[in-house]
Amino acid sequence: MQAPAPLRKPLALVFCDIAGSSHLTAQEGDLVASAVFREFFEHAGRLSREHHGLMIKFIADSFLAAFENIDDVMPFVISIKSLLSRNSTFVGRFAGLYFSLHYGNVMRIETSYGSDVLGEAVNVAAHLNELKVLNEIIISQAALERMPSDYRTRAGASESRSFKGVGEVEFRRLKLCGL
Amino acid sequence: MAASDAEAMPEVVTEAIVVIDLVESTLTSNLFGWYAVGRHSLRDLRSLIGEVGQSRGLRCMRSTGDGYLLTFYHPQSAEMAAIRAVEAVFELLRRILMRNQEVSEERALNLRCAVHLGEVDVVPNDREGPHVSMAFRLEEISRASLPAALNPIPPEQFPLQNYVLCSEEVAGILSRRTKQWGVASIGLLRLKGFPGWREVFRLLPEEHAIDLGGGTRAS
Repeated sequence: MQAPAPLRKPLALVFCDIAGSSHLTAQEGDLVASAVFREFFEHAGRLSREHHGLMIKFIADSFLAAFENIDDVMPFVISIKSLLSRNSTFVGRFAGLYFSLHYGNVMRIETSYGSDVLGEAVNVAAHLNELKVLNEIIISQAALERMPSDYRTRAGASESRSFKGVGEVEFRRLKLCGL
Repeated sequence: MAASDAEAMPEVVTEAIVVIDLVESTLTSNLFGWYAVGRHSLRDLRSLIGEVGQSRGLRCMRSTGDGYLLTFYHPQSAEMAAIRAVEAVFELLRRILMRNQEVSEERALNLRCAVHLGEVDVVPNDREGPHVSMAFRLEEISRASLPAALNPIPPEQFPLQNYVLCSEEVAGILSRRTKQWGVASIGLLRLKGFPGWREVFRLLPEEHAIDLGGGTRAS
């Protein structure tokens, strides 16, 4: 059977990176750490489905998820963050989470290893995550403009950064405390 | 005073760092014997590296067990060291393919190669520093690495052997200074011990200088 044709469409891309994963591995060993990550990623996958998203891939101690409706993103992010304080497996084990969000056109494809998304927007979401501050989400201007007004008013001042191969990206920071 | 304090600080130079790994060398040695096949393969590889590297600025060749760590130096230009290193690697691959046609199957050599450029500490018959680690990380990339990459090429398009990967630094130099080889992105990867995302490139020999990998040309 032929693989479905690649589909180009605009998606909201969420990148999440776990803080303190190296410490966890050093303190408790790689067997415990891998079990903890596995459980975290199982919950993350379930929560992405519950919020109408698609978990694209897990990369070491981070993941990339995609959403057709950007309104679903923040409830998903908040539910992921809540895992760290509510699930006994994670309490005290992770220092926190780094989130980034971008909205842009990507090519959704089926590969030998599952669904994937290709395009510059993926790189933008990942590079924004490098500007991380614990328990904040870094949101590109392109994504913020499409988000509910409540989040737009809470977002911090506009900043910009140039990324290799991508160019200048405008973004804002949104604190997750109190959401 | 500790013995290490008494040692002179090592010379720091910018060199092209090449890691060459012999594909399935342990398996071949186990199957056909170290003395019958394995040692000859490694000696042949060492000899070929010497031949292709001598005139291209090869300064260091250290065994890694199943391959070699090489560095190339150019007295006038660090960027030229990278170009000479890539030239040497492709010439090595060419000679190895010719050799493979003349030897029995179990004595065939197949390689994985990675090229990076950076500052290294010069220690006797060896090199140290994070750029050396970076070259080893590049060499470790395989098809299995691609699902965890961003914007990866399809894993099926990643060769199993006799290929050359390089870092962003080397890809940038080649794109600026020569059209001799194709430079195709295989995706953005996280390399253990190095922060952030690194774009990794596959170099294509002259006859395939057009991107075959579905990636983009380095800019």
